[in-house]
Amino acid sequence: MLYLSFIVILPLSMIVVNTLSMSWGEFFETITHPRAVASYKLSFGSALAAGLINVIFGTIIAWVLIRYDFPGKKIIDGLVDLPFALPTAVAGIALTTLYAPSGWIGKFFDFKISYTPLGIVIALTFIGLPFVVRTVQPVLQNLGREVEEASASLGANRFQTFVKVILPELYPAMITGFSLAFSRSLGEYGSVVFIAGNMPMKTEITPLIIMTKLEQYDYVGATAIAVVMLVGSFIILLFINLIQWRMNRKFNY
Amino acid sequence: MGIQIKNVSKSFGSVKVLKDISVDIKSGELIALLGPSGSGKTTLLRILAGLEGLDEGTILFDGEDITNVSPKERKIGFVFQHYALFRHMNVFENVAYGLKVRPRKTRPSKKEIERKVNELLSLVKLENFQDRYPSQLSGGQRQRVALARALAVEPKVLLLDEPFGALDAKVRKELRRWLRQLHNEFHVTSIFVTHDQEEALDVADRIIVMNNGKIEQIGTPDEVYENPKSPFVYDFLGNVNIFRGRLQNGKLKQGQFEINAPHYLDSHDDAVGYARPHDILIEKEQVDNETVPAKISFIHIVGPTARIELKREDNGEYLEAELPKEQFKNLQIQKGEVVYVRPKQLKVFIPEDFSI
Repeated sequence: MLYLSFIVILPLSMIVVNTLSMSWGEFFETITHPRAVASYKLSFGSALAAGLINVIFGTIIAWVLIRYDFPGKKIIDGLVDLPFALPTAVAGIALTTLYAPSGWIGKFFDFKISYTPLGIVIALTFIGLPFVVRTVQPVLQNLGREVEEASASLGANRFQTFVKVILPELYPAMITGFSLAFSRSLGEYGSVVFIAGNMPMKTEITPLIIMTKLEQYDYVGATAIAVVMLVGSFIILLFINLIQWRMNRKFNY
Repeated sequence: MGIQIKNVSKSFGSVKVLKDISVDIKSGELIALLGPSGSGKTTLLRILAGLEGLDEGTILFDGEDITNVSPKERKIGFVFQHYALFRHMNVFENVAYGLKVRPRKTRPSKKEIERKVNELLSLVKLENFQDRYPSQLSGGQRQRVALARALAVEPKVLLLDEPFGALDAKVRKELRRWLRQLHNEFHVTSIFVTHDQEEALDVADRIIVMNNGKIEQIGTPDEVYENPKSPFVYDFLGNVNIFRGRLQNGKLKQGQFEINAPHYLDSHDDAVGYARPHDILIEKEQVDNETVPAKISFIHIVGPTARIELKREDNGEYLEAELPKEQFKNLQIQKGEVVYVRPKQLKVFIPEDFSI
């Protein structure tokens, strides 16, 4: 508890303390500034979208890695962790080059990907992928073939087995993976600033606004925005945890 | 439903786990597949369920070839060793699962399902547990849920893979009796896999003893226990004492010790005699050559029987004898004493490439 206080709670409380030096009016004005509001929408929206994409494809990747044998499986398995290891700026630069209108992938599309919210979502999907794969993988591994066989011997077809037996077992892990990927995406800065283009009101993420304010020595303003992010992510994580708690009650691991 | 297994073979990679197995199972029988681990018994059961394919041979259910029919169409109930209950469903939902996944045409109404599940739950004595989740049940209760779940689909064959393997001794015995009763009521053809000879002898109508992917013997519990066809069956069904020797003129000889082996008048091979612990007599004086001297190394009395461990004086091998407590008291023997051991009934086999 003491450890947790030092590592997590104390630094977080400093944000609030710092913000207290503002008057309510100032605080309110800073956090409701149209540019800030637009950035909240973008940050939360894109993190949510990336989290959802990751849940779906991360689960599929985990499934393939556990259930199928193919040459190079070990390498693919290792590749999943790469977004963890790569400095985010490197990822950002690489993605931007790929998806730029003249880039290898970008040139196949009629619309712009880099420098749009879509690009942000791609960057966030990239960095969040390992979270889902790595949380779902062990659960899938432990999920014996027996329950599937039991389902089949009771007359269920493959689809029924998947929907009624396998997916419910994976939900808790998928939700954990989602919340991890989501929180990481929310705070992501390095990889996004390159691909986002950072146009105010359009592709400016909240962490960037905080950075900009810091560079202008507006520490109080920066922490005010940070408080909003903190509260926002806290509410969302609380909500996710509630869902999870309800589910876990059944399993009693 | 009668089951015919014809010349079934199966390999995993280069390992042959089943070698040309043929068995006829009559409708309504309760069969035990008995064997040590790696004998292929579970594989055979899984092949019957359709959970495993086979390399050669055919399987007939009531004369109908179902070798290539998928498990969901075989009308079987399968009970797994580790229950394989659905953790996220409560007891009721688990049992109802097999009925709920039926195609709409054959699916019973909600009320009908409820009635059926309740009936099954009272059969397994878990009426009051229908809202519990598997994690809130004991091992024995979970296994009963698994049984109810398998019975819900009204299987024509019930297949059980080491159904009591993961339970403690007392619960095991209880469930064993209960399975027997259940079978008497339902008369559904049932096959269960076990490595516990006591369980097989206790419950089954007939026992199929398997070893190394082959059937060693098929018979009623009495037949396989009293008349084992091979040294393996002798050894596997209960404790056994071994008397090695050489056959000569219809006698098994080893040093001073010689005993009649009338089945082998013409052989002059090395042979092994087998005697159950309760077929061993202990005498204080040496009367003839049909006894071996042995020193009592341990006496263990449980309930009505005395178990005596002896070390042979001539070759140092261990023997085990079981006698009624009364008899033991009359003998007045003590640990460390040298006595003479007489095998009352000795079954002699000439080993092929077999050794214990």
